[in-house]
Amino acid sequence: MKLNHDTHITGSILVWTVLTMVILSLFATEVLRAVSGRYQLGIQAAKWQESLVAAESGVDLAIVELRKSLYPAPNNAWQGWSDIPGNGVVSHGLTAVPTEGLAATPMNIEVNVDAPAQLKDPGNGWQYYRIRTLGSVPLTGPARAGFNKQDTRLRKLTLHTQRFIDNLFTSETSAPHAARRIEAVVKPLSSFNQAILAISTLDLNNQNIVVDSYDSRDSTKSTNGLYDVNKRQENGNIATDGSILDAGGAYVYGDVSTNSGTATGVQHVTGDQRTDFYQDPIPIGAPVWPSINPTPATITGTKTITASATQGSASSRYLLNAITLNSKSLTLAGAADGSKTYIEIHVTGDITVTGNGMITVAPGVNATIYFDRNVDIEGNGIVNTNNQPSNLLFYGVQPSSGATPYVKLAGNGTITAAVYAPGHDVLIKGGGTNGHVFGSVVGKTVTMNGVTNLHYDEALDSGGLINNYQIVGWFEDNR
Amino acid sequence: MKTNRNRIGAFTLTEVMISSVIFSSVSLGLLMGFTSLERSFAATTDFATNHADEMRISDYLALDLRRAVSLQATQNDTTIFIPRYYDGNGFPQMPTLDGKGGVYYGTSGNSVRVRYYLSGSTIYREQVDWPLSISPAYKTIPVAENVKDFIFNITDLGKVVTTKITFNPTFRSAGASAAAIAATAFNNTTLLRNTRTDTSSSVY
Repeated sequence: MKLNHDTHITGSILVWTVLTMVILSLFATEVLRAVSGRYQLGIQAAKWQESLVAAESGVDLAIVELRKSLYPAPNNAWQGWSDIPGNGVVSHGLTAVPTEGLAATPMNIEVNVDAPAQLKDPGNGWQYYRIRTLGSVPLTGPARAGFNKQDTRLRKLTLHTQRFIDNLFTSETSAPHAARRIEAVVKPLSSFNQAILAISTLDLNNQNIVVDSYDSRDSTKSTNGLYDVNKRQENGNIATDGSILDAGGAYVYGDVSTNSGTATGVQHVTGDQRTDFYQDPIPIGAPVWPSINPTPATITGTKTITASATQGSASSRYLLNAITLNSKSLTLAGAADGSKTYIEIHVTGDITVTGNGMITVAPGVNATIYFDRNVDIEGNGIVNTNNQPSNLLFYGVQPSSGATPYVKLAGNGTITAAVYAPGHDVLIKGGGTNGHVFGSVVGKTVTMNGVTNLHYDEALDSGGLINNYQIVGWFEDNR
Repeated sequence: MKTNRNRIGAFTLTEVMISSVIFSSVSLGLLMGFTSLERSFAATTDFATNHADEMRISDYLALDLRRAVSLQATQNDTTIFIPRYYDGNGFPQMPTLDGKGGVYYGTSGNSVRVRYYLSGSTIYREQVDWPLSISPAYKTIPVAENVKDFIFNITDLGKVVTTKITFNPTFRSAGASAAAIAATAFNNTTLLRNTRTDTSSSVY
């Protein structure tokens, strides 16, 4: 009896235990189902986001190569890529970052860059580039679609078969992965895309300085191609790639930007004040010309040298040891009828204009002056008879490491020129209380003292040397 | 022994009443516990589902905002214009210079209008070529369903756009407090990659 009684009790406990376990298991299963599905959704969404990072990194990689190509040779641009991009030539690059993805998965970045003829600016011949990228990241976990079909519609994932096949990219497989595609179009940027740009310190240390802009190409923004205060524009942007910018209370009709720095004296700035500026200027290499006009080799007295109607011709290229004008004049002469001519001068020594000395740019002449060392122009300064800064461009050749030559532009009340000298300290010291600079200034440091007006000609933005590339078109292809 | 068995097998009225009270109390506790658990589970599931909806809506908006050239935003109704990248057959087109330093796809001045709006309990994404043709081909898809309590707001800051999405959590039968609703906010900040055509702001 006792044995039977015990057996009966044991059986009841087993039933209850099994029943309890079944109920708890049902609960656990439901919870696990709900949690795992959402966990999978989270993982897939994260991978989808990562593939966008990969695709956008591809755009960055292409722009890095384009920027490299701007540096003086040898610049090692497009090394590791299939080709140098051109019209009809697609440069292909594939980068796999081994463990950069979530859960240490690889991140694949595939890039195609080309330069279609349709994307060549007929105005200045500048080539825009089309960058098409694919970023892909493998999916971990079970290859199954999420709970919600709307998630599947948004995040188009490859789970069992390759979802998207074309001839553009080759790295996609049928293995489970997230992939996103971007097309970006980048345009060249001029070295003169700011009114004033300093690599380190920018100091407008005088009150009443005015920085604004006009557009000599547009009659609504200029009068007869000249600055008109009544048509003033607000693109007189000033910036530093460094952290110190003292606007000195100047009336800046444009933006003021630093590279994570501090801008002071900005009470009269009309535009944005930004701290996210970054533009590493491309250094200028000494020009390499196959042939030149051998005379003169040095200019110390009054002299006229002649431009040519043919841009880049040997007769219009001069290599000078120095220009020293103490109450003497240098005339850059052109055609008698004032038609367009070109002249390029490379000065390996100093350029000094003092006393009543002056440099005159004759009508129609487009002068480009490269200089290795100091530029000190005072006296009667520079007379650009064209009144267009694009007709007189100064380029400072990158000095050797440790050296910081200077550019000092002073003299008479008006300077019409553009200066790009990212390795030089630039001092603009205008004429008295009514000085005007028409153009653009780039220097290692830029200091303005005594100049009351700098008018940036927006036409410079489409000329001069290319200094960078900017994204002007961006589209994610989410077919 | 027999006498003892009889005593074990019988209960007094007091014993039965006490045991009934205990059983009822335990049963009631279990019932309330299970009900509470079920409600909590349902609210948590609802929260998770809504959070997934928030994430999807945000990702949809960010996808189109990144490539936007202009936008108009009001609460629960946002219109975004994106380049007409695809041709009539759905294939990418070659970009063309616009002569002002930018590019366009297809025909200059044309774009694709994408509108996100809440209607009933569903948030839709409506897409149509812009400007409208005589017979515009609207393509409308639901982005999130059963979301009548959702609020999505776009704040246009020019170069960047912020999005904020909230919903009413269902943990309390009396309804969610303002603080609880605020705590559901799903925020996103998107940099507009393209140069805008509706403002003078430029990204770079």
